[in-house]
Amino acid sequence: MFPALQATLAESIAAILVVGALLFGAGWLSRTIRSDGRGGARGRAGSRANGRNRAGDASRSDGGTRASRLTRLRARLPYDPIRWLTTVNHRDVGTLYFAFALVAALWGGTDALMIRTELLTPGTTVWDEQTYNALFTTHGLTMLFFFVTPAFTGVANYFLPLFVGADEMAFPRVNALAFWLLPPSLLLVRAGLVTEVFGKAVAALGPRLEVLFLLEPPTTGWTMYAPLSIMQANPQVDLMLLGLHLSGVATILGAVNIIVTVLVDRDPEVTWATIDILSWTLFTTAGIILFAFPVLGSALVMLVMDRNFGTTFFLVEGGGPILWQHLFWFFGHPEVYILVLPAFGLVSLILPKFAGRTLFGFKFIVYSTLAIGVLSFGVWAHHMFATGIDPRLQSSFMAVTLAIAVPSAVKTFNWITTLWNGKIRLTAPMILCIGGVGLFVVGGVTGVVLASIPVDRVLHGTYYVVGHFHFIVMGVIAMMVFAASYYWFPLLTRRMYDRRMARVQAYTLIIGVFVTFFPMLLLGMGGHPRRWAEYASALGVHPTWPVLHWTATGGAAIIGISVTLWLFNVAQSARVGTPVTTGDPWDLKETGQFSREWAWFEERLAERRRRTTSGTEED
Amino acid sequence: MNKPTSAIVGGAAGVSVLSVALLLIEVETRSRIGLFAVVARFVGVPGNQALGFLLFVAAGTIAWPLVFVALEAYLPLGPDPAIRGVGFALPLWVAFVLLGRGELSGAILIVFGVLTLFAHVAYGFTLGAVYGRLSGETEARRPMPAYPDEE
Ligand code: HEM
Ligand SMILES: [Cu+2]
Repeated sequence: MFPALQATLAESIAAILVVGALLFGAGWLSRTIRSDGRGGARGRAGSRANGRNRAGDASRSDGGTRASRLTRLRARLPYDPIRWLTTVNHRDVGTLYFAFALVAALWGGTDALMIRTELLTPGTTVWDEQTYNALFTTHGLTMLFFFVTPAFTGVANYFLPLFVGADEMAFPRVNALAFWLLPPSLLLVRAGLVTEVFGKAVAALGPRLEVLFLLEPPTTGWTMYAPLSIMQANPQVDLMLLGLHLSGVATILGAVNIIVTVLVDRDPEVTWATIDILSWTLFTTAGIILFAFPVLGSALVMLVMDRNFGTTFFLVEGGGPILWQHLFWFFGHPEVYILVLPAFGLVSLILPKFAGRTLFGFKFIVYSTLAIGVLSFGVWAHHMFATGIDPRLQSSFMAVTLAIAVPSAVKTFNWITTLWNGKIRLTAPMILCIGGVGLFVVGGVTGVVLASIPVDRVLHGTYYVVGHFHFIVMGVIAMMVFAASYYWFPLLTRRMYDRRMARVQAYTLIIGVFVTFFPMLLLGMGGHPRRWAEYASALGVHPTWPVLHWTATGGAAIIGISVTLWLFNVAQSARVGTPVTTGDPWDLKETGQFSREWAWFEERLAERRRRTTSGTEED
Repeated sequence: MNKPTSAIVGGAAGVSVLSVALLLIEVETRSRIGLFAVVARFVGVPGNQALGFLLFVAAGTIAWPLVFVALEAYLPLGPDPAIRGVGFALPLWVAFVLLGRGELSGAILIVFGVLTLFAHVAYGFTLGAVYGRLSGETEARRPMPAYPDEE
């Protein structure tokens, strides 16, 4: 009678069955694990009798060493899944963050390469406009919220306790919880894709379940400007907003943990005067998060309500679309410093190690970090010069924006001075540091240019902006993620990476970033609009545009090759790299740069050495 | 574990990685590539996607890993089985691109080539790494010494 209804009914029943089966499976698994934890007594003949005996452990005749079948199976796996699912150890949680960030980075990176492929041709020949819009939206969101933020939270989790001499993060369980909120939020933000994967997998083998194809990837851009984000009917946008909200909760939990750890869990030896530079930046970053993310959270909830419950916060009869921009950028500008400050901290930490000198002007770097932390909340409207807000407001924001360039310049100056007369060793992390500082200069200068109101009016909607911020997000932020991964690789894996391959990787990355994003500055100056899938019909197409786009895409390919080199090096070296046998793989003691995390590592190696007397050790 | 069994387990792991990668590519490109049809064409049953996929999984789990074990000693780029696995997967990728390409042309062919190359390299690497670990090949060749600098 109602064929459509029947179809949905069948699908709903199928969905309920699947969910039921999953729940049942989860229940069974958790029961098995729990009984497993009691020593697998269930399988033995005498177990019935003491089945009610809660203190089953005491009654075990084998002293608890005989493992159940499940335990033995787990022991044979290369990685223990239960351990990784239930761990609250700060280093394990940090490692989980790294793994998550890696997945997100590769995913977002694929988006970027696909964007660049579309732009190889002036028309929309590869993907359609809809897909293109989805690509830059998910690319931006994935990179900012799920790659960089987790990567640095991972650094904080792993290394902050080592640096401040705490045994653990202040709230280990909150910490684990904060991590485990991230995978579901990533899935929510990119839900359309995930359900489609299932849909396609099922469709390949049989029926096509239409429910799984309902969600289209969001096309709002990472700024989710009203009224567009309110008008789009796609239900996936709601899931995206909820996912972002959830990731905000996770980020705030992580930040609270960082702040409390630094405040109360410090070793008495570590005073405010002797805290190292990385902990300072992580601490400041956590402070910014604490003030910025709640604003995002509230704005997101208001947007969800506008979309679903008829409120009018961001409609003209309510606060208007500009209200969204104020709230969003009050979060959004501090967010860019949330991303960049830890990267600055890593430069300040790693650069001196391979320059053989202590960081020049330590105090000023700390002050500039704190200054950025405060000022970052006072510049949000520089993202809104093109919207026609009150000119008096605009000029005051221009002034503050120029002021915030000063602390960044102070840092750059101090890094360069640290190199001065240093004994520079061009290891891969050092190459990345120097390259990062150089690219950051380009990103910073173009930023100062944009801070000027009349210039911004012209360039705001163009590729110039994309070029500018990528010199920072890719040029220094992503660069320092790579540098840190090399610098701490021995500590994380007890093996050394292939140094030559790493140096090649570092150089190709620097070249790739420059070749990719410099043409974008030129495109922008020529008036090429951003967020356009095609430029065949753009006003005043310039004959150089295709060439510049090809160059940029070529650069992106170089970045892709470089990332592949890194991935290969890291995977291969973690498997079979040369074992590290000293707590000081970088010879830092020579120059008095030996820091607390390496001291911890040395101590741990010594402890292992005491335990292992001979033979080959299982890693 | 003996060599053929380890290779089959490695093949199963590799095929899982490869299938997930291919699925992601398919969805991410909004089905512009039509990878299931590609797979079906590749294994020689154009038009029958379900059968094509089953054949594909079977080949990746059983046939190729066994060939890999048989050829292992002759493969270049040794001795690490993971690297050999990559070398082993490259001809498979060439066949995949040539046989599966279908009507694709223009810029999208680049995406198709690059992404499927990644997926195949991941297959080969996983196959070899798991195989090496389970069969003891890897550990036997590069032991992790217990701190040789100890005096
Ligand atoms: C391989 C490296 C990368 C390439 C080739 C790349 C490419 C691009 C391109 C071409 C756009 C502009 C799309 C348009 O306006 O039409 C874009 C936007 C964007 N990218 Fe990247 N990107 C890369 C890495 C990153 C990283 C590491 C981050 C952040 C940590 C990032 C964050 C963003 C953001 C926030 C946007 C704006 C999205 C929007 O307009 O809503 N990108 N990217
Ligand atoms: Cu800003």
